[in-house]
Amino acid sequence: MKATILYLYHDFMNLYGDNGNVRILEKRLKDQGFDVEIVRKTVTDEDIAFDGVDLIYCGSGTESRRAVATAHLKRFEKAFKSAVEAGTPVLFTGNSWGMLGKSITTLQNEKIEGLGMFDFDLKEEIKKRFTGDCVATAEGFEKSFIGFINKCDVIEGFSGYMFKIVKTIGQIPYEADGVRKENLFGVSMIGPVLVKNPFFADHLVKVITERRGATYKEIFYKHEERGYEMTLRALS
Amino acid sequence: MFFAILVCKILRVVAGIFGRGSSMPGKIALKLFPDILAHLKYPDTVIAVTGSNGKTSTVEMIAHVFRAGGLKVAYNKEGSNQTEGVATFLLMDSTLGGRIRSDAVLLESDERYMRRTFHFFHPRYLIITNLYRDQMTRNGHPEWIYNIIKRGLHDDMTLVLNADDPLVSKFGAGREGTLYFGADHLEDDTVVNDSIYDDGKYCPICMGPMEYEYYHYNHIGKYHCTSCGFARPDTRWSLTGTDLEEGNIVINGEYKIPLTFNGIYHCYNTLAAFAAGDLAGIPKDTITKALGGYFLKNGRIVDFKLGKCDGRLLLSKHENSVSYDRSIDVVIKDPKKVNVMIIVDAISRKYFTSDSSWLWDIDFEKLKQGNVEKIFLAGKYCNDLAVRFEAAGIGTDKIGVFESISDAAAYAGTQADFLYVITCFSDKEKILSLVKRKELS
Repeated sequence: MKATILYLYHDFMNLYGDNGNVRILEKRLKDQGFDVEIVRKTVTDEDIAFDGVDLIYCGSGTESRRAVATAHLKRFEKAFKSAVEAGTPVLFTGNSWGMLGKSITTLQNEKIEGLGMFDFDLKEEIKKRFTGDCVATAEGFEKSFIGFINKCDVIEGFSGYMFKIVKTIGQIPYEADGVRKENLFGVSMIGPVLVKNPFFADHLVKVITERRGATYKEIFYKHEERGYEMTLRALS
Repeated sequence: MFFAILVCKILRVVAGIFGRGSSMPGKIALKLFPDILAHLKYPDTVIAVTGSNGKTSTVEMIAHVFRAGGLKVAYNKEGSNQTEGVATFLLMDSTLGGRIRSDAVLLESDERYMRRTFHFFHPRYLIITNLYRDQMTRNGHPEWIYNIIKRGLHDDMTLVLNADDPLVSKFGAGREGTLYFGADHLEDDTVVNDSIYDDGKYCPICMGPMEYEYYHYNHIGKYHCTSCGFARPDTRWSLTGTDLEEGNIVINGEYKIPLTFNGIYHCYNTLAAFAAGDLAGIPKDTITKALGGYFLKNGRIVDFKLGKCDGRLLLSKHENSVSYDRSIDVVIKDPKKVNVMIIVDAISRKYFTSDSSWLWDIDFEKLKQGNVEKIFLAGKYCNDLAVRFEAAGIGTDKIGVFESISDAAAYAGTQADFLYVITCFSDKEKILSLVKRKELS
């Protein structure tokens, strides 16, 4: 059976080793018995097909690149939204889920339209960058998420967050963070979030497998699990 | 001012006795007289060096060239490159009346604090070596740092830029009088960038797709934007040839410099030092002679014996994938069979972070090469490394994972093959305390 990962802006929004998420998903899907195809699309592509895709991924980018990617993805708004509404697993990490709100006011004070899937306006803050390690909890997940946040986004008056941030080390003013809709997850943590949080990778792979009508096999990944344990301990 | 300088000098002596940090006296002097740096009398030659990698080595080499040219030089030798450290060494070099005694001042400037230092005085020349993904947990990302540096530039400063790094050469766009150094087409260049990521793929000015005629390494090479025409500028100081077999480089087609360590990094640092010497009016033959065989004594490479094996530490920087990529190049170019140990235990020596995302930017895939026998992954983040190596398709039969560095060292010492250790300042002593150091040959 084939599984297709649509890797959005693979060469454009890949600032913090975000490619690791796609690589780990590919491996885990292979372990479930899938033949995995990764379709890479970027800002110079005229067409993006969302139909029949098993997971859509987008990683972090510089502020200027996120603005370009937002305008590009906006061209595919309808197809993207239909895929989300149909329950396609989607993972946006780092600052990329900022694209999914109503607008982004950039560092140059330019307001650009977002995908409008969540009810927030985002402003990029030039004077300060919010960076630090964090531990967060989310409904539906027993284990805590761990990772590093590195962005300059300020969102005011929004209440639809997915995570409660329970611990930070560094300068992170956020108490709640991230978004969720159907199987779409917007997570502020950068880089290989699925490596750092193996239970989250399990969850996504399970959803993908079951959506394909296959039986999910529990597999224990010892280095991921041990790495998670050690980092969680270091952060506690 | 007299008082602040005196206090600084006294504190420095006191700090020396107690072995305290190198920037404390300057910090106190700045408290007493916040704009003291604006009141000093500087010599004509003031050169600052900033950028992600190579600042310390470049400044050391420039100092060596200047001394060979008969100049007395003041610089921040201890790498204390934030404003307080700069204040300390400048005040130590000044008379009580505030005149810098040396003929030339060299500043290694931290990218993020440069602007604060240059608020008080402007260097005549600012050399920018490169802008890479470096310590992004503190620095954000290269473009963020670009914007911070940009805000610290003043019209009376002449920029001396690495033409081969597009984000660096962007500083010169529309800025008259900017000078460039860079490498011409070299033997080891490639026509594709096969690194994990490519920071030169899109134009730093208009975001259009860029094309490269060749890459020296990562995104460093000869590029042009297919959309706005932004292109690698012509260089005043050029690396026109490298003979890595003999360990020579040639600058501007005529100045041949033998190198003791011929990594491409070192070539760029040497070229920047050549440019600085030229700008200070030192005859090119004198510069060439000074740089020839110049031996960097900064502990970036340490040879050792561990149990049955001989080894070499290649000091790299955590959170800096380009620096790891270059160390990996050294390993795979070695014709011998070798083992490799990678240690990630404390990600930084200055702050805590558990961020290991940068491991996914490093081209560990290259270690699949035939000369690499075994790989030992050690330290608190050995599991993060193990996952990364699995993804690289390097078989578990080749890999050993050790949470304890001494266990890794004990095992490595039972193997006869030459051992390369790749790690950072923050972790190097953890292995060096377990080996017998040797003089570099």
